[in-house]
Amino acid sequence: MAKVKGQEMAVKTEGGTPQEQQRLRPVVVTPPVDIYELEDGVVLFADMPGVPKENLDVQVDKNVLTIKGEISDIVPSDISPLYVEFNGKAYERAFTLGPDVDVSKIEATMNAGVLKIFLPKSEEVRPKKIEVTVE
Amino acid sequence: MLRPWFSLSDPIWQDFDRLNREMEKIFNENYFSPAGAASSRVPMPAVNIGETSDQVLIYLFAPGLDPKGIDLTVEKNMLTISAGRDTAKELGEEAKVTGYYRKERFSGKFRRVIALPEGLDTSTIGAKYKNGILSISIKKKEEEKTKKIEVKVD
Repeated sequence: MAKVKGQEMAVKTEGGTPQEQQRLRPVVVTPPVDIYELEDGVVLFADMPGVPKENLDVQVDKNVLTIKGEISDIVPSDISPLYVEFNGKAYERAFTLGPDVDVSKIEATMNAGVLKIFLPKSEEVRPKKIEVTVE
Repeated sequence: MLRPWFSLSDPIWQDFDRLNREMEKIFNENYFSPAGAASSRVPMPAVNIGETSDQVLIYLFAPGLDPKGIDLTVEKNMLTISAGRDTAKELGEEAKVTGYYRKERFSGKFRRVIALPEGLDTSTIGAKYKNGILSISIKKKEEEKTKKIEVKVD
């Protein structure tokens, strides 16, 4: 057993060099993201296939947004692998937020393995329309 | 308690994985050099295949799909999965985009062809899409199933 970021992971320990063992360990994957700037905030999309809503952890600490998600077990216990491209077990990524984000109003939704987070800009930095009156 | 989803044990696959990582390194360092950008990316949705005593299971990691747009066909022993997504449409038309910071996610159409092992009953294929993973199950033919033989003691 090895501790990885506070979580226990079952590690295949028999055989192989330490490097190989390191690589064969089910990895914490960095999810790919799209981040858009909107007039009234920032929207982040992250691909986290296999993560149900209840396994998701979105946190803001000071100015760091951390997203974490654990892939739920969907495979039967007696399965044996034939071909493997993805051996992730969890996702994790952190972002530094600018000072303009109103952290009290962050909204997160999860749909079909895609996490969407809306980070609204605080009122004082939103673009304001100034009416010009012509006399 | 986390346990390995699957482990990479096939040496051929390890070579491919290593190549993938090398490519990624070159791509990241010379092209974008984004700090902490997505790693372990595969250009197509990744596929894992496993088997139990009575069926073969295929998992496609493809988040954000419309289940109605997933097309599955089997011809002889070739299973074809085609689908796609347009990430530009996820924001909705009323969103006023003024710029972007990152665009790393796959957008477009994909098609994956998987050669199925022999001895499967392809007349009954189960498929479900949940949390961004497409799970496909194909039963083995009766004669291919693992049989347990009882040893009698005289």
